[in-house]
Amino acid sequence: MAHHVEGSRNSCAQHGALQLFESIEGVIPVIHSTSGCGVQHYLGVTRLTGGNDPFGSPPVSSSNIAEKHVVFGGSSRLREQLKNTVKVVRGDLYAIVTGCSTEMVGDDIAAMTKEGRDQDWPVIYANTPGFSGDVHNGYHLAVKALIEQLPGIWQSIGEKQSRLVNVWGIIPNQDPFWRGNLNELGRLLEGIGLVPNLLIGSGQGIASWKQLPEAAINLVVSPWGELPARMLEELYSTPSIQLQGLPVGSEAGILLRSLTEQLGLDPLRTELFINREEALLNHQFARLADSYYRAGFQREFALVGESSQVVGISEFLGKYFGLLPRSLVITDNPPDILREALISRLSAIVPGYDTEVIFSEDRSEITDVVRKGGAQLILASSLELDVAVESGVPFLAVSFPLADRIVLDRGYAGYRGATALLEDIGSALLAFSNGRYAC
Amino acid sequence: MSEKTGKHIAIYGKGGIGKSTTTSNISAALAESGYRVIQIGCDPKSDSTTILRGGNDLPTVLDTLREQSKLRIEDISAIGFGGVLCIEAGGPVPGVGCAGRGINAAVELLQELKLFEEFKPDFVLYDVLGDVVCGGFAVPIRDGLADRAFVVTSSDFMAIFAANNLFKAVNKYAPSGGARLGGVIANSILAAYAPALIDDFAEKTGTQVIGYVPRSLVVAQSELYGKTVIEAVPLSEQAQVYRNLAQYIDKNKDSVIPKPLNSPELKKWAREWGDRIFDVETGVVHEMASI
Ligand SMILES: Nc1ncnc2c1ncn2[C@@H]1O[C@H](COP(=O)(O)OP(=O)(O)OP(=O)(O)O)[C@@H](O)[C@H]1O
Ligand code: SF4
Ligand SMILES: [Mg+2]
Repeated sequence: MAHHVEGSRNSCAQHGALQLFESIEGVIPVIHSTSGCGVQHYLGVTRLTGGNDPFGSPPVSSSNIAEKHVVFGGSSRLREQLKNTVKVVRGDLYAIVTGCSTEMVGDDIAAMTKEGRDQDWPVIYANTPGFSGDVHNGYHLAVKALIEQLPGIWQSIGEKQSRLVNVWGIIPNQDPFWRGNLNELGRLLEGIGLVPNLLIGSGQGIASWKQLPEAAINLVVSPWGELPARMLEELYSTPSIQLQGLPVGSEAGILLRSLTEQLGLDPLRTELFINREEALLNHQFARLADSYYRAGFQREFALVGESSQVVGISEFLGKYFGLLPRSLVITDNPPDILREALISRLSAIVPGYDTEVIFSEDRSEITDVVRKGGAQLILASSLELDVAVESGVPFLAVSFPLADRIVLDRGYAGYRGATALLEDIGSALLAFSNGRYAC
Repeated sequence: MSEKTGKHIAIYGKGGIGKSTTTSNISAALAESGYRVIQIGCDPKSDSTTILRGGNDLPTVLDTLREQSKLRIEDISAIGFGGVLCIEAGGPVPGVGCAGRGINAAVELLQELKLFEEFKPDFVLYDVLGDVVCGGFAVPIRDGLADRAFVVTSSDFMAIFAANNLFKAVNKYAPSGGARLGGVIANSILAAYAPALIDDFAEKTGTQVIGYVPRSLVVAQSELYGKTVIEAVPLSEQAQVYRNLAQYIDKNKDSVIPKPLNSPELKKWAREWGDRIFDVETGVVHEMASI
């Protein structure tokens, strides 16, 4: 890639790894890098995720290396930092992440981790310099570190549990709605008698990660969940079910049916559950009808986000809600082999209608695509508010970075997420028809 | 950066080719003719100035920096033959940290300590580690720290290869204020064909040879006494060769931006010379393995 990216929404690998580790209860990340890394993670990432930022300053332990450590090596600084961290913060697991400078110098992180382990501290490490890739790669590196290194700390592997499902591919904070999305996926799985292993978020600690090998299946909801699913298949022969995006609305029902088939669950129970959810969603559609026609909800929209969001949201809006996907911008750089599939899937949402599908993380290119597309509703990140205002069309922030919204447990996945999406888009359209921006 | 005092010269060349020996003898010769000289070894081996100091120990800048944060010039320098101020940048433990950045840090520290303003040298010679392996070792020729770079080479192909790499670095940095190339110093001249081979390389790359230093036992003997040839055997022919080099560097201000050969060109050039040497004096070809 020989061009420079303006206003990128994809931070570096270290930050992707930090995000994963910070979202597992009891895991204490330790940054081994220059002091700017942790600060940048706070300023450039966590603060822009709708209220997922830790209170006050970034409370991440960091070795804050200086020139001296670049010249002579920073391993001893890490040793000291790890020792102090273990002393000051109690955790179930300490996870070292590295940065550009310490990787250039070649500090021996594996050796420092081993020293920690020899003292019976639960320590793992991930080599996560920014130059090794972006936030998505960082998620990969952190997940890989956990899958590979946890068995070295806690040997015991339990029996397979026929109902246990690991959920992969939602990158905390990179998806600002991750908590809500996971909760809903968990609720849906429970609804048909499964036991969700959500791995991140509240109530999810090392115990969840120790259970990884016991799962009956891996549920993958973005391209970024494929690697862990593949690893677990190789290590523990766990099969997986792979979606390209979040299941929103009735797509969730389709997922539940295929899980039921694959895991041999009671189909009657599943149908009962789905029927109840469908009925409720239809009820919401009906209640929305008056506003829908009064404020002219049916219109062309632009959607900018990660592939899992773009697939989930645009299919729901296009197939079930009568909106027209004009410009779809996928910002997470999915692997090349997936792009063709995404393009053909997304361009076929509304047969006979011309949908433009673009892969870009460049702010000015995205702005151009959205502007030229001429959509009458923009669903994007806060970086696209300007083009919405400039084009004079309603706007809803749905993807990272999120500057003007607080997101506590809202999500757009599943049936409840579909309702939430109807509420939020409805509010944005209604406010706009009254001459205002909702958020 | 502090204001530059004196002429700053960087000496490069393949490992073991004779950089430190040549640089120290040039420093000694310049000092002998009354100049104030600083020689800075930019090499983690920190043996650049040994033969100027009778082989005594000298703490390196980086070792001292590792132990104490505040340091003075006296802590990290020694006065050698003819008043030459000797400094060794030093480096990390092998396999740890970044030596390139270390040299950077050491040189910056010397500037912070106002070494050049205090000592007021006429010449500062930087003896830089072997091949230009990465940006770190290009420090003395980047950012205009040195005005001119010289490269020491023998007729050995690997030495020529290293010289060509230096030319690439000079070529890259010179247009934006980096050092230009002063010329080539041909060292360890023994074989009859060697001067012609090095001359030809210089011509092909648009530069020139500024002196031919014969391979001589006197050098090894002086080294065993911990001395330069200038100090140990001042009246020898070899001493005169080094004096001539010093004089050239003093009087001649010529410098160029060299035109390095690309790899296929360099390989082709080497093969042609291989054939020629083999034809003329069969057997000499094997001696090329040594300097
Ligand atoms: N002209 C010469 N005649 C005889 N011996 C020489 C000559 N030049 C250098 N040597 C010898 O070659 C050896 C290597 O020289 P020197 O240490 O100066 O090389 P260098 O390029 O500084 O090496 P390094 O890259 O290891 O710093 C020394 O033992 C030195 O005495
Ligand atoms: S890109 Fe490198 S230096 Fe910057 S925050 Fe990431 S790891 Fe740190
Ligand atoms: Mg040397």
